[in-house]
Amino acid sequence: MGKNFTPHRIAFYVGIIVIWQIISMAGIWPDNIFPSPYEVAEDLAYGAADGSLFYGIATSMWRLAIGLTIAISGGVVLGIFMARVEVINQTVGSLVLGLQSIPSIAWVPLAILWFGLTDGGIIFVTAIGAIFAVTINTYTGVKNIDPHYIEAARNMGAKGSQLITAVLIPAAFPYMISGFKQGWAFAWRGVIGAELLFSFLGLGFLLNAGRSLNDVSQVISIMVVIMVIGLVIDSVVFKKLENKVMSRWGLQ
Amino acid sequence: MTKLEAKNIVKFFSHESHKLEALGGINLKVEAGDFVCIVGPSGCGKSTFLRIIAGLETPDEGQIIFDGHPVSETSPERILVFQEGALFPWLTVQDNVEFGLKMAGIPKDERAKISNRYLDMMQLTKFANSYTYQLSTGMKQRVAIARALVMDPDVLLMDEPFASLDAQTRDLLLVEMQLIWEKTKKTILFVTHNVAEATVLGNKIVVFSNRPSIIKKEFENNFPRPRVTEDESLLKLQQEILAELRPEVKKNKE
Repeated sequence: MGKNFTPHRIAFYVGIIVIWQIISMAGIWPDNIFPSPYEVAEDLAYGAADGSLFYGIATSMWRLAIGLTIAISGGVVLGIFMARVEVINQTVGSLVLGLQSIPSIAWVPLAILWFGLTDGGIIFVTAIGAIFAVTINTYTGVKNIDPHYIEAARNMGAKGSQLITAVLIPAAFPYMISGFKQGWAFAWRGVIGAELLFSFLGLGFLLNAGRSLNDVSQVISIMVVIMVIGLVIDSVVFKKLENKVMSRWGLQ
Repeated sequence: MTKLEAKNIVKFFSHESHKLEALGGINLKVEAGDFVCIVGPSGCGKSTFLRIIAGLETPDEGQIIFDGHPVSETSPERILVFQEGALFPWLTVQDNVEFGLKMAGIPKDERAKISNRYLDMMQLTKFANSYTYQLSTGMKQRVAIARALVMDPDVLLMDEPFASLDAQTRDLLLVEMQLIWEKTKKTILFVTHNVAEATVLGNKIVVFSNRPSIIKKEFENNFPRPRVTEDESLLKLQQEILAELRPEVKKNKE
C-alpha cells in the first residue's frame, strides 16, 4: 500500500477538494445543483450514521460476489472447453464473441422479464456481464500454454480431469487472472447499472433515490463510494494477486 | 534382452502445403541397460523419433515394440526429458519432482520419501522449496532429470537436455549422467548434436542420415568410465562418427 500514498498523489486529491470547495463557495451554481465537498462528506456521514450506506454497500457487494462467482466458474469451464475442443470453439466460441459485445445493461429488460424485480435478476445481469471476459481470457490462456507442459504431464500419467486441474488451469492462470480482473470490472458496472434500473436496494438504488429526492449531495457521495470501492478492490485484491502470480510464474 | 525395438518407423512432417518425409524407415534394437546416443544433422527427425517412442506422436508407418508389445500411447514407462525441461513454473522444485507420483495417487508422505531420494541424488535438496524461475538452466535440467527418474521409468528418453548449458555445467552433468546410469541401470536414449557428448555418454552411438532419415551407422563404445570430453582415447571414435556425419550435414545445407 506504501506507493498508493505518494506525496504527489495526496497533493493531487487535496488540490481537487480545495478547488471544488472554492468553486462551490464562488456561488456560480446554487448549492442544490453543485454541493460543496463538505456537504457531500456530511451526507456520507449521515448515511454511515443511520447504516443505510453500509447496508447499500453490503447488498451490492453480496450481489457482486455471487454474480462474479458464477461468471468465473462458468467462464473458466467454457473457456477451457473452447480451447480444447475445436467444435465447441467454432460454434459456442463465435457466439461468445457476439455476446461479449452486448453491454451488460442491455440484459436488464430480459432479466426483469425472466426474474422479475428480484435479487436473481440483478445477479443475472452481473454474471452475464462478466462471464464472457473470463471465458475469452481463459480460452487465450489455455491456447497459449506451452504444449510441452501438457505433453510432459501426459507422459507422467496425467489423464482427463487431472490434466485440467493440475496443468491447464495453473498454466493458464496468468491469463485467467486478467480475465477475473476484467470480469470484476464488468460485474461492478453491471451490478450498479442493474440496481439503478431495478431500484431494489444496493448502491445503485441509493444513487437513484438521490436523484428522485433531488439530493445532489447523495448522488455524488454514492458515486464517490462506488469509485473508492472499485479502486480498493482493483489495487488491493487484483493487483496483489496479479503481482504474486506474475512473479511466481516467472513472468516479471 | 531387447527392451525396445523400432521397426521401420516412417514419419512425415506437414511443411506449409507439402509433406516432408522426416523419418524414412528407422530400424533400431535397444537392449535393456543400453545407453544409446543418437546424433544426426539438424531437422533429421531424431527428436521426433524420441517423441514417437514416448508415445507423444504416432508414426505414419512402422511400430515401436516395447517389452514385446507395440506402443500405442504415452506412459510413465517411457519418460521424455525435454530440451528446455518443461518444468511447471507454478510448482516448487519438490512438487515438480513429485508431479507424476501425485498423478498416480501416491500419498503425500510416500511421495516425499521418494522425491527426497532423487532430490538428494541430483543435489537439489537445498532448492526443494524454490520455484523454477529462481534456478539456473543447469539446475532446471537437474530438476527435469529428477522428475523423470522419480517415475522409475524402464526407458529414459532425453532430447538434447544439455544443449543450452554452459561448458562447465555440461561437463559436470555428463559425469553425473554416467553415474546415474550405472547406479539405476536404466535404458537411456539420448539425442544430441554434440559428437563429443555422445562418445562420453553412450555405449552405443547411432548416426542418423539427412532427411528422410535412416540409421546410417551404429558404433559400439566400450571405453572405461567415467569418461570426460577431453579423453584422448575417445578422439578416434569421435573422428569416425564425424566422418559419417559430415556428408549428412552438408546435404542438409543444400
